[in-house]
Amino acid sequence: MSRDNTMKHSLLLAALLSASTIYAQEGETATTTLVPTPSHIVIECKSQECVQQAQETLKSNAKASEEEVLAPNKEVRISVVGQGVAPMNTISPAQAYALAKRAAVADAYRLIAEKVKGVRVDGQDLIQNMMVKRSSIRTSVDAMIRDANIVETIFKEGLCEVEMEIVLSYAQFVQQ
Amino acid sequence: MRSRNGDRPFIRSICTTIIVSSLSFLNAQEYLISYRYVAKNALSYNESFHVSHAMTQCGSQSYEPLILENTDNNNLKATLLKNFDLFFDYAKKLGLHVRHEEHTLNHQSSAFTTLTLKTTCFKVEFNDSFVIIQALK
Repeated sequence: MSRDNTMKHSLLLAALLSASTIYAQEGETATTTLVPTPSHIVIECKSQECVQQAQETLKSNAKASEEEVLAPNKEVRISVVGQGVAPMNTISPAQAYALAKRAAVADAYRLIAEKVKGVRVDGQDLIQNMMVKRSSIRTSVDAMIRDANIVETIFKEGLCEVEMEIVLSYAQFVQQ
Repeated sequence: MRSRNGDRPFIRSICTTIIVSSLSFLNAQEYLISYRYVAKNALSYNESFHVSHAMTQCGSQSYEPLILENTDNNNLKATLLKNFDLFFDYAKKLGLHVRHEEHTLNHQSSAFTTLTLKTTCFKVEFNDSFVIIQALK
């Protein structure tokens, strides 16, 4: 009798263990499927217009992810928004506007240079007794920019924003 | 025999044209202009604008002209300062040098941006009511 009982117990235990492992595996698979991946985008559409819109958005997303390359017979338009602040000690609002605009133009030039030529970054950290004692980062840009145009200027609450753009063509780089 | 007064009006007009054109050519002067603007942490920090007569002759090739109103009795610096936005737009076509330095020390940053028009030679012609400025290459 006792032998039969132990057999029954062991069988029950084995069944329970196998059931728990199966359940755990199912749970794991469920969690993996829940993680969203960018490659799977589900758009439900009933009309033809909706399908077209979805296709356009997908195309624009794909274009945005691609890096723009300067090719022959092709122009690249670079647009930036520079910001400048009006100083506190100005004689008139006109002077504040003029100074803020000039600072914004300089900032826009800097942004164009950063986009076209890139930034040089130097970093230095001093660690003493497992602690950061001094952290220093230097970034610099140096460029010559010709034919940049101001598209729009907005001045609001002491902040001036200048939208500036530059058109780059392949021929400009070939000549130099 | 040809009459003495026959070609007089024609010759006079040619002479007048030559004299006027030579005078306008002689009236053109060459100036050296430089501009430098510094912004610190997005705030205007320093600005310098220098205009001086050129002591040596500059190159002959020129860019498109900039025409300004002559209101300050042939004073180029005053005229340019009065119409600085127009001159700045013109300078942008010539090319401006930008230099930006940002230093972050212990998570506190400070930035300097310098915008420079390198010393450039300009041919300047003063008329009665206009100043014609042309950058020389």
